[in-house]
Amino acid sequence: MESVYKLIGVSHRFGAFPALTDIDLQVNAGERVALVGPSGAGKSTLIRLLNGTIFPSEGTIQALGQEIVHLRPKHLRQLQAKIGTIYQQFHLVDTMRVIHNVNAGHLGSWSLAKSLLSLVWPRDVEIAADALTQVGIQEKIYEPTHQLSGGQQQRVAIARVLVQKPLVILADEPISNLDPERSREIIELLANISLESCTTLIASLHAIEYALNHFQRIIGLRNGGILFDAPAEHVSPEMIQTLYRITPVE
Amino acid sequence: MQTTVPNQIDYPKMCRPAFFNRKTMWVVLMIAGVFWAIWQTNLFRSEVINLGGWALVARFLQAFAQPELSPQFLLLTLNASLTTLAFAIGGVFLSVVFGLMGGILASKTWWTSLSPRRGANSTRSWGMTPWLIVRSGLAIPRAIHEVIWGLFFINVIGLDPMSAILAIAIPFGAITAKVFSEILDETPSDSLTALLNSGASPLKAFMYSLLPRAFADLLSYSFYRFECAIRSAAVLGLIGAGGLGYEIFLSLQTLKYEQIWTLLLALFFLNGLADFWSSSLRGRIGLKAGCAGDCREYSKTIYRENTSPAITDRLVKFSILAGIVLVPFAFVYIRPDVGKIFASSTAAQFRYISSAAWPPEFNILLSQGWWKNIKITISMSLLAVALAGFMAPIFVLYAAKPSTEVKSKLIRGLRFFVYILSRSLLLIARSIPAPIWALLLLFLLFPGIIPGALALATYTLGVLGRLMAEVVENLDNRPIQALKAQGADSIRQLAYGVIPLTFPRFIAYLLVRWEEAIRATVVVGLVGAGGLGRLLIEQLSSFNYGGVVAILLVFVVIIFLVDLISAQARRDFQMTGETLSINNQSLSL
Repeated sequence: MESVYKLIGVSHRFGAFPALTDIDLQVNAGERVALVGPSGAGKSTLIRLLNGTIFPSEGTIQALGQEIVHLRPKHLRQLQAKIGTIYQQFHLVDTMRVIHNVNAGHLGSWSLAKSLLSLVWPRDVEIAADALTQVGIQEKIYEPTHQLSGGQQQRVAIARVLVQKPLVILADEPISNLDPERSREIIELLANISLESCTTLIASLHAIEYALNHFQRIIGLRNGGILFDAPAEHVSPEMIQTLYRITPVE
Repeated sequence: MQTTVPNQIDYPKMCRPAFFNRKTMWVVLMIAGVFWAIWQTNLFRSEVINLGGWALVARFLQAFAQPELSPQFLLLTLNASLTTLAFAIGGVFLSVVFGLMGGILASKTWWTSLSPRRGANSTRSWGMTPWLIVRSGLAIPRAIHEVIWGLFFINVIGLDPMSAILAIAIPFGAITAKVFSEILDETPSDSLTALLNSGASPLKAFMYSLLPRAFADLLSYSFYRFECAIRSAAVLGLIGAGGLGYEIFLSLQTLKYEQIWTLLLALFFLNGLADFWSSSLRGRIGLKAGCAGDCREYSKTIYRENTSPAITDRLVKFSILAGIVLVPFAFVYIRPDVGKIFASSTAAQFRYISSAAWPPEFNILLSQGWWKNIKITISMSLLAVALAGFMAPIFVLYAAKPSTEVKSKLIRGLRFFVYILSRSLLLIARSIPAPIWALLLLFLLFPGIIPGALALATYTLGVLGRLMAEVVENLDNRPIQALKAQGADSIRQLAYGVIPLTFPRFIAYLLVRWEEAIRATVVVGLVGAGGLGRLLIEQLSSFNYGGVVAILLVFVVIIFLVDLISAQARRDFQMTGETLSINNQSLSL
C-alpha cells in the first residue's frame, strides 16, 4: 500500500505549551482514519500540521511523498491543492454566493485570469452543480452563503473539497456544530465519498459511535500523544474510557 | 469522483442570476455619478493648474528643512496644541453626557420597557412614536457641520472657548446618542427583562443591567469620538476659536512657512497620539472578547463567541483614569465662561437671531442659482469620495499590519517599513484639516471645485484608509486560512477571501464618508471652494440669518436623501445580520 502520510517524531508547541509530542504515524492511501480524544488532546493541531497550515517544531512530515517542511511556497501550494480540508466552523466566505465558495476549490489549479473572471461570470458551473448535487443542495447554487443553515453550509464546504478533487480529505470536527440528524448525514456523505473515489479520509471526531461505524481505523489522542491506534473492530469500551478519563490536576 | 449527470430532469435547472442585478445597478450608478461630477468640474474646458504657483510651492517645501524652533514659538505651539486638545476633551465630555441621555431616550429597548404591553410585538404600537420622534430629531444637529455650529455660537455667546466646546458637543452628542442607542439595543436584554419583571423601574433596571453590560462598547466608541474631536477642534481654529488650526491659518496668511511646518508637525503628533491611544484601547476591548495572549493563533474557535469584554485590563483602567484627570484639566486650561450660556445678553442675542432667522429667505438661493450650487456641492463630494475610494485599497494593502509568518528577516523588515510609511501618510492626510489642504492646494490650482474636491479627498482618504486597515486587521481570517490550506496563492486569497469579506464593509464606509463629505463641503467653503458651503459662509458672515436657515434646510434635505440612498445601497450589498450590527456602531463617523 502506498503511504499518504508519514510522520516521524513530530512535536508542536504553541509558545511554551506542548500541543503534540513525539508523534509517529503512517496513513496509507484509501484509509478512513478517525482521530478521537478529549478536547485539547491535539486533534486540531495534528490536522493543521497535515494540511501545511502550521509546521512542526520538531520531526518530519512526509505528505504524498514530499517533505512538507522544506518545500518552497510554490511547491507547498501545489501539494496543498491535493489536500482538501473541512472545518468545524465551515470557514466559508459568507458574503459570497455559494457558487463562488464552491469554485474556490479550484483555486489551486485555475489560472489567475480564470479565477478572477469567474467572480464576475461563474465558470465551470456544471462541475459545481454536480458537486452540490452530490451533497444534496443543488438548488442553493446561486444563493448568498450566509442565508444557508449550518448543515447546508457544511455541505457547501464539502462541495468545495469535492471540486478540488483532492487525494486526501481532512476533516476537523466536521459535525460538532450540527444536530444529530445532520451529523449522521454529513459523516455518511464523507465516508461514501471516500469509499467511491478511494480518497484517504482523516477526521477528528467527538462522537465515538460515528467513528466506530464509519471508519476503519481509530487513533486515540490524549495530552498530545497517541494512546492507541487500532482497527475499529478492536477498539473496546475500556480503551475509550481510559481515553476520556479525567485525571486530577497535578 | 466526478459523477456524470444522467439527465437534466433529475434536478430543476438552476437559473444563473441576471448579470444586471441591484448590485451591478449601484456600481453603474456610482460610476455614472463620478463621470457626471467630472463633467460638472469643467475639468477639460478651463484652466485648472496655476503654473505661476511653483515658486511658492518650492519655498514652502524648502521651509520644511528649517521649521521655526525658537523657544517663544515652541511655547506658542505647545499652548496651541493644548488648547486644541482641551477643546476636544471638553467637547467629547459634553457629547458623551448628551449621548448617554439621548442614547437611552433613542433606544427601542427604553420605550419598550416603558410600554406596559412590553414583550408582545410592541415595536409597532403607538408606544413607539416618541422613539421615532427622538430618532429623527437627532438627525438635524448631525446634518450641520461643527464649523456652522461654531459660527452660530460665536454669534450668540461671543468668542469664548465655550463656543468651541459647544460646537463640538452638539453635533457629536447627536451622533453619539444615535450610536449609543444602537449599542444598547444590541446588548442582550435578558437581564434587563429579569429586573423589569421583578418590578424595578426602567431607569434603575437600565443602570443595573444594560449600562454595565454595554459599558466597554460605550467607552470604546467615546474614545473613537475623541480622536474625531481632535480633528474637529483643529478646524474650529480656522473660525477664530484659537488653537493649532488658528495659528496655522495666521502663519499661512502671513506667508511664514517655517512656522507652518512646526505647527503641522505638532498637529501630526497630537493626532497620531490620539489615534494610537484610541485604536489600541479599542483593540484591547475587542480582543478581550474571550481571549488572551496569542489565542488567535492557538485557538480558532473561541475568539468570536464570548463578547463581554473585561474592563480590568490595565490600558482600559489607565484610560478611564486619564479621562477623569483630563476633563477637569481641559476646563481649567481654557477657562470657558459657562456663565455666559445663561447670561441675559446671550438670551437677547438668541432671541434676536431666532426672530431674524424666520421666515427662511429662500430667495437668496433663487437669486444665486440654487440648482447650480447644489450641483457643485454634490459633484464636489462625489469626486472627493470617488478619489478616496480609489486610492484607499492601495494604501490598505500596505497599511494593515503585516503578518509575522514570513520567515526572511529582510522581507519582514521591509514590509514593516512600508507599513509605517503608509500609516504615516494616512495620518498626515487626515490630521491636516480639509480647509488647510485646500489653502495649500491653492498654491498650484485655480479656485473652484477641483481644489475643494482634492482637499476633501485627501482628508477622506486619511480616515477611510485607516478604518479599512483596521477592518482588514480584525478580519475573521479562518476562511482565508482555509483557502491557503488548499494551495491558493496570495492574489487568489485576496480575490476569493479578503475582498469579498471586506467589500460590503468598504461600500458601507464609502457611503457614510459620502454623507460626511457633503457636510464637510461647508468647511472648504471657508476658503472659497464653491457650492452651498460657500453661500452658507457668506450668509453667516453677513449675519443674514434668514438666508442661513434657508440654506441649512436645503442641506438637511440633501443629507436626508443621501441617507436614504446609502441605506438602500447598503441593504443591496448584503449587509445583513452580524456584519450590519457591527457596522452600525462604527459607521457613524
